[in-house]
Amino acid sequence: MTETTYLTWLLLIPLAFSLAAFAARWLGSVCRVVVETAHLLSVTLVLVISFLTVNAVLDSGQLFGMSHWLHVDALSTIFLLIIGVVGFLVGLYSIGYTRHDLETGEFDNNRFSTYYGLFSLFVFSMLLVVTANNIIMMWVAVEATTLGSAFLVGIYGRHASLEAAWKYIIICTVGVAFGLYGTILVYSDAFNVMQVPGSAVLWTEIVKNTQALDPALIKMAFVFVLIGFGTKAGLFPMHAWLPDAHSEAPSPISAMLSAVLLNCALLVVFRFATISNLVLGPSFAQTLFLIFGTISVAAAAFFMYVQRDLKRLLAYSSMENIGLIVLAFGLGGPAGIFAGLLQAINHSLVKALMFCATGNILIKYHSRNLDQVKGMLQVIPVTGVLIFVGALALVGTPPFNIFVSKFFIITAGLGTGYAWLMILCLLLLTVVFAAFFRVIASALFGEKPDGVGQGESNWLTLLPGAVLILLILALGLYIPPQLMTLLNGASGLALTGTPIEPAALLNAKDFWAPLAHLLP
Amino acid sequence: MSSVTLVNSLTGLLILTSLLVIEVKRPRWSALMYSLQSIVLVGIFVVLAYAMEAGQLYLWAASAFITKVVLVPWLLYRALSQVGDPEKPRNAMGATLSFFLAAVAVAVSFIVVSQIQLKAAAPFKPALAVSMAHFFFGELCILTQRNLFKQLLGFCLMENGSHLTLALLAYNAPELVEIGIATDAVFGVVMMVVLGNQIYKRLRTLDTSDLSTLKG
Repeated sequence: MTETTYLTWLLLIPLAFSLAAFAARWLGSVCRVVVETAHLLSVTLVLVISFLTVNAVLDSGQLFGMSHWLHVDALSTIFLLIIGVVGFLVGLYSIGYTRHDLETGEFDNNRFSTYYGLFSLFVFSMLLVVTANNIIMMWVAVEATTLGSAFLVGIYGRHASLEAAWKYIIICTVGVAFGLYGTILVYSDAFNVMQVPGSAVLWTEIVKNTQALDPALIKMAFVFVLIGFGTKAGLFPMHAWLPDAHSEAPSPISAMLSAVLLNCALLVVFRFATISNLVLGPSFAQTLFLIFGTISVAAAAFFMYVQRDLKRLLAYSSMENIGLIVLAFGLGGPAGIFAGLLQAINHSLVKALMFCATGNILIKYHSRNLDQVKGMLQVIPVTGVLIFVGALALVGTPPFNIFVSKFFIITAGLGTGYAWLMILCLLLLTVVFAAFFRVIASALFGEKPDGVGQGESNWLTLLPGAVLILLILALGLYIPPQLMTLLNGASGLALTGTPIEPAALLNAKDFWAPLAHLLP
Repeated sequence: MSSVTLVNSLTGLLILTSLLVIEVKRPRWSALMYSLQSIVLVGIFVVLAYAMEAGQLYLWAASAFITKVVLVPWLLYRALSQVGDPEKPRNAMGATLSFFLAAVAVAVSFIVVSQIQLKAAAPFKPALAVSMAHFFFGELCILTQRNLFKQLLGFCLMENGSHLTLALLAYNAPELVEIGIATDAVFGVVMMVVLGNQIYKRLRTLDTSDLSTLKG
C-alpha cells in the first residue's frame, strides 16, 4: 500500500466487509463469530489507514486518488480522524451491545448480519463524503449515508423505530435534494466558466476559478446547500428528524449519527462556504452561519430543559453543539474556524462516550425515561462514572476537552467584536448546564427501582468508554502539535481554499489575547 | 415556433402534470401521472438537444426514459398494488391552498431566476423558473400529503426539477453526471419503497398521521 492508494483502500475495506457481513447470514452457527471478527478487522483497518492518511497529509498538505475524484487536505483530515477514532471505539462497543441483543432475542442471525453489513456501509458512505473531491459524488455520498443508516434506525422493527426511520429518510432525502439543487447550480456555473467537464465537477478546481462565477447563482446555491446539508447536520429549524432518529436507533448507531454523521454533513457545507467566500466575500456565509448557529443553540437549550428522555436530551445536545460549531464559523477569521473545528473533534468524543454509556443504561433499566432511571451509582457504578464525567465534559467543565474549545469560541467571538452574542451564548450554555445536571443528578443518585439487579453487562461495553474518557481528558490538558498544524491548515482552507500563511498560524496563547484586552 | 420557445412552453406542461401527481385520489394514479410527467421531461431534453446541438442530451433523454418513465413508476405501481392502494387520506391543507402555494412558488422562482446573469441561462429563463418552481412543488407535495408513497412522489418531483435545471444550465455536461444523479435517485426511491412496505406490514397503514407517536 502506497500513499496514493490510501484513499482507495480506505473506501474498499468497509465496503468489502459490509458485503461479507451481509453474506455471513448463510453461515449458520459460525455467523456470529465471522461477522464480529470481520467487523473488528474492518474498523481497525479503517483506523490505521486514517492515521496513515493523516500522516501523509501532514507531510505533503494533500492527497489525491482515483483521477482526482478523491481528495483529502487538512480540513477533511480532521473529519477523517473523527470517523477513524469514533468508528473504531463505537465499533468495539457495538460488539458488546449486540451480544446482549442476541442474548435477549432482539437480534437473530439475519438481523445481526444486517446490522453489521449496514454499519460498515454507513462508515463507507461517511468516508466517501469526507474524501470526495467531485461535488456530485459528495452529494451522492451524503444521500448514501441516509439510505444506509435509515435501516439501522428502524432495525428493531418497532412502531416507534419505524416511525423514526421514515421521518429520518423523508426529511433528510428532501433536505439533501436541496443540497443537490445547490450542487447543480455550482456545477452548472463552473461548467459554463471552465468549459472542461472533468474539472468543473472537482472542488479543488472550482476554487481556483471562482473569479468568473456568477455571484447571484452562487448566492442562491449556497442558500440551497445550507438548507439541504444543514438538514442533515441537524440545524434548527430543519432538525425534526434528529431527536427521533437518535433516540430510536440502537445506541452505537446513535453515537455514530451524533458524533460522526452530523460532522460529515457540516464538512460539505464548509466546502461550499469556501466557494461562497471566494465569490461573494466572507460576510454572506458568515451571516447565515451566525443566524443558524445562534438559533440552533437557543432552540436546543430550551428543548433540553424540558426533556425526560435521556437519548432525546443527548440528541438536542448534539443540535446545540452543531449550532456552536456553525456559530464559530460565522465569527469570521481563522480563530473562529479553528475553535469550531476543535469543538467538532471534542464534541464527537464526548458524545460517543455518552451514547455508549446510555446503551449500558438501556441494557440494565430497559428504559430511557429519567423518571425510571435512578441510582445508577449503585446499579452500574462504572457506567455511572462514565455518564458523570461525560456530562461534566459536555457542559464545558474544566479540565475536559470541551471546556477548551468552548473557551476558544468565546474568545474568538470577543476578538472579532461579537461580545453581546458571546454573552447570549454563555447564558444559553447556562441553560444547557442546568438541563443536564437536573436530570443527570437524579439518574446517578436516588433510590434504585425494584427489580433492577446490580452489575454491568460486559467489559466490551465499558472499555471504549474508558478509552474515550482518557482522550477527553488528554485533549483538555494538551493539544498535540500535529493537531494544531491540521487545525491551522484547515482554518485557512475553509476560509480561502488555500492553507494559512505561516506567520498567521495560531497557537493556544492567541486565544487568551482577547481576554487580556478586557482586563484592566 | 422556435425550439427555444417550445422548450419554454413544454415546461408549462410540467406544472400541470405536477398538480395531477399531487391531487389525484389514488396513489397508483399518481405514479402513472408521474410517468406522464417524465415523458414531458424526456420531450424537453430531446427538443433542447436539437436546439442547442447538445448530443449528450439525447443520452440523458434515453436514461431519463428508462429510469423515470418506466422504472420508478413501475416500482411504485407494483408496491402500491401489493399494499392494496388505499385511497389517499385528506390533504393536510386543502387543494385550494395547495394551488395558491404552487402559484406563489412559480412567482418567487421567476423573481429569483431574473437575477441570474449566466449567459447559458438567458434564452431559457422562463423554463429555468419553472424548473425551480417544480422543485418546490415536490416540497409542497411532501408537506401536504399524508400518504407515504405520495410523499415519496414529492421527492421524485423535486428530483425532476433539479434534473431540468441541470439540463438547462449545463446541456453539454457529460452523461456521467446525469447518470450519477439518476442512479442515486432511483436507489433512493427503492430504499423508501422498501421502508414503506416494512411500515405497512408492521403497522397496516400508509397514513403519516398514524406515525406521530414521537414528539418533543
